[in-house]
Amino acid sequence: MTRYITRRLLLTIPVLLLVSMVVFTLIALIPGDPALVFAGGEADPEAIEALRRHLGLDRPLVVRYAIWLGHVLRGDLGKSVRDGRPVREVLLLKLPVTVELAVLSLVVSWAIAVPAGVLAAWKRRSVLDYAATTVALAGISIPNFWLGIMLIYLLAVNLRWLPPSGYVEPWIDPARNLQMMVMPATVLGTALAALVMRLLRSSMLEVLGTEYIRTAQAKGLRDRVVLVRHALKNAMIPVATVMGLQLGGLLGGAVITETIFAVPGIGRLAVESILTRDYPMVQGVVLFSAVAIVFVNFAVDVSYSFLDPRIRLVEERR
Amino acid sequence: MRRTLLAVAVIVILLAGLASAQSPRRGGTLRAGLDADPPNMDPHQSIAAVDRQVFQNLYDKLVDVNQNLEIVPMLATSWTIANNGRTYTFRLRPNVVFHDGTPFNAEAVRYNFERMLDRAFGSPRRSEIVLVERVTVVDPLTVQIDLEKPFSPFLSVLSDRAGMMVSPAAARRLGRDFAREPVGTGPYRFVEKRPQERIVLERFDRYWDRNAAFVDRIVYRPFPDEQARVANLRAGELEIINMVPATEVPALKTDARVRLLERAGLAYQGIWLQIESPPFNNKALRQALNAAIDRRTLARVVFGETVAPANGPFPTGMLASDAGPNARIPERNLELARQKLREGGQAGGFAFTMKTAPGRIQQQVVQVIQSMAGEAGIRVNLEIVEFGALLSQLSSRQFQAIQIGWSGRPDPDGNIYAFFVTGGGLNYGPYSNPKVDSLLDAARILTSADHRKRAYGEILEILNDDLPYIYLWWPKEYKAMRPNLQGFVHISDGMMRFRNVWLNP
Repeated sequence: MTRYITRRLLLTIPVLLLVSMVVFTLIALIPGDPALVFAGGEADPEAIEALRRHLGLDRPLVVRYAIWLGHVLRGDLGKSVRDGRPVREVLLLKLPVTVELAVLSLVVSWAIAVPAGVLAAWKRRSVLDYAATTVALAGISIPNFWLGIMLIYLLAVNLRWLPPSGYVEPWIDPARNLQMMVMPATVLGTALAALVMRLLRSSMLEVLGTEYIRTAQAKGLRDRVVLVRHALKNAMIPVATVMGLQLGGLLGGAVITETIFAVPGIGRLAVESILTRDYPMVQGVVLFSAVAIVFVNFAVDVSYSFLDPRIRLVEERR
Repeated sequence: MRRTLLAVAVIVILLAGLASAQSPRRGGTLRAGLDADPPNMDPHQSIAAVDRQVFQNLYDKLVDVNQNLEIVPMLATSWTIANNGRTYTFRLRPNVVFHDGTPFNAEAVRYNFERMLDRAFGSPRRSEIVLVERVTVVDPLTVQIDLEKPFSPFLSVLSDRAGMMVSPAAARRLGRDFAREPVGTGPYRFVEKRPQERIVLERFDRYWDRNAAFVDRIVYRPFPDEQARVANLRAGELEIINMVPATEVPALKTDARVRLLERAGLAYQGIWLQIESPPFNNKALRQALNAAIDRRTLARVVFGETVAPANGPFPTGMLASDAGPNARIPERNLELARQKLREGGQAGGFAFTMKTAPGRIQQQVVQVIQSMAGEAGIRVNLEIVEFGALLSQLSSRQFQAIQIGWSGRPDPDGNIYAFFVTGGGLNYGPYSNPKVDSLLDAARILTSADHRKRAYGEILEILNDDLPYIYLWWPKEYKAMRPNLQGFVHISDGMMRFRNVWLNP
């Protein structure tokens, strides 16, 4: 187990290196000069030239990458081009926001998807099944931005139950923090729930058809025990994989939702940095997202052995 | 007699009530919704337009503009212009301190100009004040600025970022990092800035104007999504928003929870034509396109009257807005368009590609133009280009036509000079005409408003015949706010000056 984990961890290094290289090249290929974009087309060429020199954009790409990599290895992600803030500082500011939103969205998604998926499989081809499927399809089909604006108008502007948007740190005002997170987490959660629910339903159907379930039922175990303890646990393996990918995606930021609800997370940081060609910041965000996805997938792999004891994380002996 | 006394008493009470309703209340937090996250808090480094919203309250300028766009005193209480417009002598306001306690005086003004002019610092302000030859401290409260040559928009330039005074002590200590701990003399001092989240200012207790800064705190929050910005205002989470979307204007006008202010703005929109290569190196074809466009219909159909049709760079209310053809909106003339096509040797019409930034309104604009041009036999291919890329293509002249405008400046010079003077930094045509050059330079030297207006009129007669740029509309300037926000003065530059506002409960 330890050897497996060490090996997996070492494998992440070339992955991250490759990601950073690709991103560095791709950003440089985006048309649009950061100095020009800052000015919004409203600064004169002399000012733009000065800014370009200040940003080091007059150097060749390879040199810029080498300098950046050298700094990263020393733990320095560089400074934002926009306001000179250290990239690491900004990332650390955004991280708790995004982690909170990601976790809450997953909670919403589970709360909807797991019962709905199990019920749909158990009462398959019933009204319940069709209803759950319809809701799931709606969840996938409704665009985030639309649902978001509708929720704001309904719950915040008309009914005034919730604040329309924004963010307060949970350690400053936990109640208000949760109030502000309800809508964005719901918007993200419902979209994720749909996929998980469909997946869980088919995975459950497969497991429910196996012999050990029939045995359990023949033993006279109650439906609830058969469903939850025997079927659900085994049906969760593909679901865990998808949820791991979803969590990784969420940690990379939920751009549209964050924009509509003015949640100051990684997603908005990423988009705004790309739109303003804030190269060091984009690099930092992408590196962070890559790390997050690699580690969440790693955690998912480890979780398999808990879900299904038949899976053991050992290296094959040759 | 008794009745008279009663009447007098009633009037006195009513007047007292009126007075108390009008007198400012202190306290409270003012929350303002911005269209973008202001990146840089140093006025001498800033290039994003949205930064200026925060600067209005963090910094004082040497001078400001009033609702009629006239120059009024701010840190300078008076000034004289001598030596044929080359020497400006400013009398400075006494007893002014920066937020860090540094005194504001002539020495501080001199330092600020040196900072902006320092090539190594690379301030975007340098080009705005590059004509400054010498800044002399006459006495602690008098400063004299000598220009290389006369420049009549100078005071107007000082009413914007170039006139914002930063603390010399803080600027020396922090260098470029000053942007992270900005220190001005404004009514509000900097508390914190969290990227994409908020900027917080709080009342500066030692502010020179005792009769200002009524609100305790100002919180700016960026809402790039315009729907979200409006929804937050309606829900009472914001007191005022910047950049009211045109599509929301009709609904906001009738919304009792919101007060909508409308004024002519300073901005213009139109189409750059690249006149070095085909098809638009052919003047007749530029004129054909121009004649095919119906500006009034465009303004009505796409914008529902939230813009005014334009034929020049000077929106209503600006000096020179009534000069020459500026406000003479041409009627659409398909017959003229066809005649110009024949003159240009393209009787059967021609095709070109017009680029624009993404966005619903922008796309509607170019589609309407596409169909109008189509009726004259001009085929317009549309290309939607991400804004950053669009700017690059504009400045490297990789286009035939681009729909893009200008946010506007209070002095007419800022809306025209750099766009059409030969070699100008924003001259994307690129356009060159010795007559226009000399008229543009003349308008900079002339001090009488009438003479300047006449020069701009002559320039526009030429430009609207040559057509390197087709002016289409002037966006109106809107502010939407909660009714409890009082004392707000709406100025065409769209800047939210909060020094005299207060919040009713």
